[in-house]
Amino acid sequence: MSAVAAPDGDDPEESESQRQRERADRPYVESPIIMATVRIVAPFVFTLGAFVMFHGADSAGGGFQGGVIVGTVILMVAIAFGVEPTRDWLSASLLTTLVVVGVALFMGVGLTALAFGGAFLEYTAIPVHHASKYGIELVEVGIGIVVSGAVVGLFFGLASGHAGDDAEAES
Amino acid sequence: MIDVVLDRAYFVVAFLLLGIGAHMLIGDRNLVKKVIGMNVFQTGIFLFLIASAYVAGASAPLLTEPGPYVSPLPHVLILTAIVVGVSLTAVALGLIVRIYGEYGTLRADLVGEVDGGE
Amino acid sequence: MTPVEAVVLAFVVGAALATALLRDVLASIIAFAAYSLGVAVVWLLLRAPDVGLTEAAVGAGVTTVLFLLTIAKTVRPASEDLFVDVDPTALGVSALLVAALGTTLSALPPVGSSSAPVATSRVTAYYLENAYHEAGVKNAVTAVLAAYRGFDTLGEAVVVFAGFVGLLVVLDRGVLA
Repeated sequence: MSAVAAPDGDDPEESESQRQRERADRPYVESPIIMATVRIVAPFVFTLGAFVMFHGADSAGGGFQGGVIVGTVILMVAIAFGVEPTRDWLSASLLTTLVVVGVALFMGVGLTALAFGGAFLEYTAIPVHHASKYGIELVEVGIGIVVSGAVVGLFFGLASGHAGDDAEAES
Repeated sequence: MIDVVLDRAYFVVAFLLLGIGAHMLIGDRNLVKKVIGMNVFQTGIFLFLIASAYVAGASAPLLTEPGPYVSPLPHVLILTAIVVGVSLTAVALGLIVRIYGEYGTLRADLVGEVDGGE
Repeated sequence: MTPVEAVVLAFVVGAALATALLRDVLASIIAFAAYSLGVAVVWLLLRAPDVGLTEAAVGAGVTTVLFLLTIAKTVRPASEDLFVDVDPTALGVSALLVAALGTTLSALPPVGSSSAPVATSRVTAYYLENAYHEAGVKNAVTAVLAAYRGFDTLGEAVVVFAGFVGLLVVLDRGVLA
């Protein structure tokens, strides 16, 4: 154990107590300023993200950019109101479903074109007016869903840490 | 000579970023800083590609604006690479969290010394 | 090279150096966030608004938060020194890399020249001429992303998906509990 703790320049007891202190500090001390700011800003940032995602066809933007911006709204809320409550509010299965639905939507558009006798992702094969524009829009939304779901999922994944550590902490 | 460098200042900066990133990857012992270095290195490559697409006086590749336009292709490549890069970073950081859980240190030179069976 | 470009580039290099040299990992992460913001401005100067949007949200936002989470989960080594001790071997290797790349500098086209290979390429001209009436969208970046290179983008979306699954596997989690 001494070989383990020494590298960080502390002796084992000190680093252990420091770690415990950090754990004790972990419950987030709520700051009214941050919470109020996030409460006001979050809807606007979410709208901006959705705008960037849907308006990617004619102005700067698209699924990747919009998806990340929508994802950052959840990160912002999680930092202001605490990671645990936000995770309970979102529910884990919803996130996993989102990521899968996004990829499925993208592939679905590609396969629909295939079903109408075109090549994979050949939007113009779909007999709809402006098929290409709507196809691209749908694909962008699919990308946006994958990216926002993945960004939020990566955040909560890292925030909760290794599953084995929980078991040790509880025992 | 000085003109050659000034005309290509973006490339010079890209090379410097590659150097800084490589130095962090090789020289820094802290694993988190190695991953930060990987991100800096990555941005160096992005800067090289985006700068090579730039045309002075051209507008962004939005066809609502008057031409000429800069090339959209490198933008697409980099756009996707940035988002893939964040997934990569997250997996690397996940591995770092695991390494810390197993070895209790984030110093690359000491991870090798701490024997797993100890 | 306008004064604005010079200032932004100097800021980017300075922030990158600070990221590399600061010993405290938290300070280094904050310097990296500033660096990402500077790079996002560089993308705007280079007329790449789409990339700038992504970089501002990803580099200065998501990546920084992920790094902060990691040091909160692990450790932030305390130290009296402000700067790292520079490893001469690593410095030599990276200087060698920069020097090797630097030798190619005179063979590269000047940045912003309209006769550069990328600008005069047949592919670029094709995308810009046909993006609107073939793909029906006015943002050429979106047209290339979702239509001309749709297969590639599907792959990228799957890589993001795989990154998500990969992190869950690394952390031994079946779901995000």
